Amino acid sequence: MPTTVTSVTSPLHLPRAHAPARREQAFSFLWFACALMAVVTVGFILASLVIEGLPAFNDTGVLRFVLGDTWNPTFDPPSYGILPLLVGTLLVTLGAMAISVPLSLGAAIYLAELAPARVREVVRPAVELLAGIPSVVYGFFGLVVLVEWLRVTLSVPSGESVLAGSILLGIMSLPTILSVSEDALFAVGRDLREGSLALGATRWQTISQVVVPAALPGISAAVILGMGRAIGETMAVLMVTGNAAVIPEPLFNILSPVRTLTGTLGIEMGEVAIGSPHYHALFAVATVLLAVTLVVNLGATALLSRLNAAAAGRSMSSTPGRLVASLFSTRVLLGLAAGIVALVAGSTWGLIPALGVLSVSAVLSVATGRLSRRQSEAIAFALFRVAVVVVLLVLALILFDIVSKGLPAISWEFLAGTPKDLGRGGGIFPAIFGTLCLVAGSIAFALPIGVGAAIHLVEYRSEGRVTRAIRSGVDLLNGTPSIVFGLFGFSFLVLHLNLGVSMLAGQLTLGLMVLPTIIRTAEEALRNVPQSLREGSLALGATRWQTISRVVLPTAAAGIVTGTILSIGRAAGETAPILFTAVVFSQRQLPGSLFEPVMALPYHLFVLSTTVPGSDLNRYGTALVLILVVCGIYAVAIAVRNRFSTTMRL
Amino acid sequence: MTPSDSDSTGAVLETDGLDLWYGSQQALRSVTFAVPALQVTALIGPSGCGKSTLLRCFNRMNDLVEGCRVEGRIEYRGDEIHRPGFDVVDLRRRIGMVFQKPNPFPMSIYDNVAYGPRVHGETDRDRLNECVERSLRQAALWDEVQDRLGDSALGLSGGQQQRLCIARTLAVEPDVILMDEPCSALDPIATAKIEDLIDALKQRYTVIIVTHNMQQAARVSDWTGFMYLGRLVEFGRTSQVFEAPHEELTERYITGRFG
Repeated sequence: MPTTVTSVTSPLHLPRAHAPARREQAFSFLWFACALMAVVTVGFILASLVIEGLPAFNDTGVLRFVLGDTWNPTFDPPSYGILPLLVGTLLVTLGAMAISVPLSLGAAIYLAELAPARVREVVRPAVELLAGIPSVVYGFFGLVVLVEWLRVTLSVPSGESVLAGSILLGIMSLPTILSVSEDALFAVGRDLREGSLALGATRWQTISQVVVPAALPGISAAVILGMGRAIGETMAVLMVTGNAAVIPEPLFNILSPVRTLTGTLGIEMGEVAIGSPHYHALFAVATVLLAVTLVVNLGATALLSRLNAAAAGRSMSSTPGRLVASLFSTRVLLGLAAGIVALVAGSTWGLIPALGVLSVSAVLSVATGRLSRRQSEAIAFALFRVAVVVVLLVLALILFDIVSKGLPAISWEFLAGTPKDLGRGGGIFPAIFGTLCLVAGSIAFALPIGVGAAIHLVEYRSEGRVTRAIRSGVDLLNGTPSIVFGLFGFSFLVLHLNLGVSMLAGQLTLGLMVLPTIIRTAEEALRNVPQSLREGSLALGATRWQTISRVVLPTAAAGIVTGTILSIGRAAGETAPILFTAVVFSQRQLPGSLFEPVMALPYHLFVLSTTVPGSDLNRYGTALVLILVVCGIYAVAIAVRNRFSTTMRL
Repeated sequence: MTPSDSDSTGAVLETDGLDLWYGSQQALRSVTFAVPALQVTALIGPSGCGKSTLLRCFNRMNDLVEGCRVEGRIEYRGDEIHRPGFDVVDLRRRIGMVFQKPNPFPMSIYDNVAYGPRVHGETDRDRLNECVERSLRQAALWDEVQDRLGDSALGLSGGQQQRLCIARTLAVEPDVILMDEPCSALDPIATAKIEDLIDALKQRYTVIIVTHNMQQAARVSDWTGFMYLGRLVEFGRTSQVFEAPHEELTERYITGRFG
């Protein structure tokens, strides 16, 4: 900066150009207010759920509500017992974890430890793509491909079942678990690996005895995050689990249909009479759902902080590490793989092959006791490679199906026309337009507040009680299932603030949903700005806000932009938050103001695939367009990240 | 096995025309020398001269570095360590390594030392206990940690951590111990303890130590190699290298006229 250089040469003539202290204070207060928004929102969400749900708890009694074994709100007399829904959520989540934890950990270990750089460069974006596919597209794929495949191969009357839900949710939670645990493995110091290898340990011994135990906090956080995603997922589950509010008989009958907490909200909220006991019961369900996710998230946080304290080495009892190390033997891995194969074989071809697989694996697992270190290493690594291949195959299958069947639908008329014949014919332009509007509005709302909150948390932090409250507010908001945002938007924005089912209500709801993502990514970006830059600026006599606005924010811009774009992608693909707040299925004209409802791509796909028979071509076309929109946005994010990270290298 | 029953007079490790590249950059140039058994050999030289790289050749730790390429021969007890089918895991068991920065695993003190024997298949509790105690005693750490073996190794001081890493290396009963600037992260008192330790170790082990510190090389080693720009400029008895170097480059370095 030439001006600075010249003024340095004549410091005495520098005008006192400092912003008045009052302005500094105003900014500081503004950012604090932004940060407070997160807490206030959490408060509003909790309050609205509890207030609306309270009558149901009072009428039925908390215990009978939670443990009642019949959910039948339209019967006379209605009964509100959510035990079947809780069991449904639990079964589907456990099933999903049984599928995704071994697969994603195997793939993560392969990527972090074994994969050549070239393979990694292919697999990473593939996993990011898997994460970017909107849940309604997963639901659509599950409905038309997975459920149908289960029905035919198992020759059962309907494939809508715990199994279908578990497989689908397993795939959906895979990217989360995979990428978070890969990061954790990657973060384990090179010196530990070398220390172990230098003692003559094999790579597999090093991985299983040193690297994985050291990465344990991150890996457990990854699993819990994935679990949170599975519990809170609405649309995909709703579309493939059959939604019968029954407890499977017997409990492990994975072919039984079930209904989850989220599914119930998604199905019934749209049809319920406002203010009726049923309406209040649904809010009570949402309260329980939020409580469950809260417990899971708190559990994760507690576990993490305890493990982190242990890793910091104050007085570590080495039990967790040793336990993992012993669990993580080749024998256990083999058993796990054999179990999965047996399950698949059993459900596909019947009992006898399954028993065959089990007995072979029993023999194998006895044999592993006699395997040399080399052999068990070879087996373990082979299993990891299989895991990666499975992940890639799943992605390829989904993309191939949707692209090959969706491409014929794409035409100018489809992209630019309005729907005809309940969406069987015509185009989807109003839905594309509506989605763009919703996204733009939500970002316009969330971006300033999110960045402001992040500035407060990073730049003005005084780690007191308030900051801690704000941070847990953000965490809480981050773990809140999207359908809960939908309910909140409906009761508070649509009804209480009288916005009606409108674009604005949808934008605000989506904005609240992406707020924690923006806050977190912006926070991280700001934290990555080296302290020396701030000190350099402050030492020149710049005020705090001058330092932030001229030095810190420009440096952190890349990270903030990336976080924003990721939020855009998420907002574009979400269905549950706008289900009751903003969308209609069909619309002749484009909305004229913020207070009119809109069409949206995810909702359009949802309705086409669940309630409009004979719309196959347009379903696939809509799914393809939705994927292209979301993935296009992600591609921009990745490009921005790469561009900035090369030009802004510090 | 005890190292003393092999030929204690000959060379344990020998290199012949050793070249090494990191990508297109050559880090070692035609290094040829033999490491005498049951002696302490020091490698000295200015930063970036290749001494750590050379050290990491002996247990093939450079395999982990992407784009690293080696030509020439390295023999361990007469066996070419780059030949196809050579067991690199076993090589690393026989040639232990102590790193520049202490790198204890995030486990208890006991588990750190027992890690090596365990990965090599030792499960007997008594023998493990005995091995842990013996190794910690050899590393002169036993008295300081004997009543808190279950505590995390990360709670030890830097010097204690480094001695723990030495104990960890001793627990697998290696033949050779490679030390890569083992004292560079330590204070003078901890350094003195490690130096005493090195002196004691040569009764049973062949030690190769890379050091920045010429006084340290003069104090602890029997043989010294001076490296410069990837070449081994001079190798000989420590007394000879320090008192009557054959090469002018060596003399200039030792007298502090460059580097």
